[in-house]
Amino acid sequence: MTNPSPTKTGMIDFRGVNKWFGALNVLKDITLSVEPREVVVVCGPSGSGKSTLIRCINGLETIKDGDLIVDGQRLGDPATNMAQLRTEIGFVFQSFNLYPHKTALENVTLAPIHVRKIPRAEAEQAGRDLLAKVGLADKVNAYPSQLSGGQQQRVAIARCLGMRPKIMLFDEPTSALDPEMISEVLDVMVAVAEEGMTMMVVTHEMGFARKVAQRVVFMDAGAIVESGTPEEFFSAPKTDRSRAFLSKILRH
Amino acid sequence: MLENFSFRTIIEYLPLFGQGLITTVWLSALSFAGALAVGIVLAAMNLQRSQLFRIPAKAYIDAVRATPLLAQLYFLYFGLPRLGFVLPELVVGILALSLNSGAYIAEIIRAGILSIPRGQVEAGVASGMTYVQRMRLVILPQAFKVTIPPLLGQAIVLVKDSALLSLISVSELTRAGQLLASDRFMPAEGFITIAAFYLLLYYCLKGLAGLSSRWLGLQPARSST
Repeated sequence: MTNPSPTKTGMIDFRGVNKWFGALNVLKDITLSVEPREVVVVCGPSGSGKSTLIRCINGLETIKDGDLIVDGQRLGDPATNMAQLRTEIGFVFQSFNLYPHKTALENVTLAPIHVRKIPRAEAEQAGRDLLAKVGLADKVNAYPSQLSGGQQQRVAIARCLGMRPKIMLFDEPTSALDPEMISEVLDVMVAVAEEGMTMMVVTHEMGFARKVAQRVVFMDAGAIVESGTPEEFFSAPKTDRSRAFLSKILRH
Repeated sequence: MLENFSFRTIIEYLPLFGQGLITTVWLSALSFAGALAVGIVLAAMNLQRSQLFRIPAKAYIDAVRATPLLAQLYFLYFGLPRLGFVLPELVVGILALSLNSGAYIAEIIRAGILSIPRGQVEAGVASGMTYVQRMRLVILPQAFKVTIPPLLGQAIVLVKDSALLSLISVSELTRAGQLLASDRFMPAEGFITIAAFYLLLYYCLKGLAGLSSRWLGLQPARSST
């Protein structure tokens, strides 16, 4: 295999990445570099490969060819300890995926205790602090089934932060939420971004993109069609496809 | 019609029935424990990606489920000694029930594990858990609850199947009925009595199932405020 080129690498570095689902080329020659502390919003029509793109970063999906270098380690390289790398990457799912048999606090402390090997007392203190930070100090002992969608997603974000990751990935974090719960989750995400977290966020929340993203990446049919600052992208989209997409999501 | 029915003889034989009942209970319990072990191993094999594990597990499960328990029991009882393994009938009986019930339990456990949504696995993977950690901390505790009711159902089946061990002269409950039937020529008394005892065992297990589901119902994960 080719060695990573000696050029400066970002926190997340896609270099000519391709992926197929059977005959379908779901990621087409993706080249994208995300710098430390950068917030990148990925948008595009459904089926465009945005979720697949970020799922590759922590190895929930594997790539067929090209290089994907995350935090200086090349995925698929035998020297890369994937489980170790994943502890550095928080992943927030569209459907939360909280552990239903664990309380909010246990959800947050499970991986820190068992994977990071942080002493229980310390992990629990950190967990309480994190739940307080996402506005759920009073829900520490609640089970996921007792929480609203917005609350569950905030627990899920706290669960990721409990691992003290270097990178946070968000896969349509507000798409499964009732409209009135979206802002409480976005507020937490803005706070995380403002603390300097490296983030990739698949979302159509353009208000969030304008507020905290340094860059918006627009994907269609597995390829990155356009990439630019939120200002450029929203006020002067360069391609027909991005214009068509924006007119659809901004119409309402 | 009932004038010939001898309650006195039943009472006279009660100690024998009692012993049979006790034997049925403990050999069923041992067999169920063995079946659980067999089932866990088979389910684990069946859930592996490698055909190397899956094919033997599937073949075993199919073979057991496709053939009569009696044939399996006779194979172990009459066949094994010919192959050089001479075991006491009680051991053969427990072995047969464990190996048989284990195949059914394997499928119950596998279904329980597969019923846990994919997102739970992914959440574990994403937080850096190993396969064993995911199983232990995330999947099995959830799968456990789903499998308790069908496992108790299988336990009831096992208790009834244990009656077949009377055919290899294990002195369990059905054997006690047979003795009464042959010694005194009272099949009605003998077999109605053991039926009553099996019913008793059934209600005990059913009560246990009820208790366990109440206990599981109290687990907050299931309760929705």
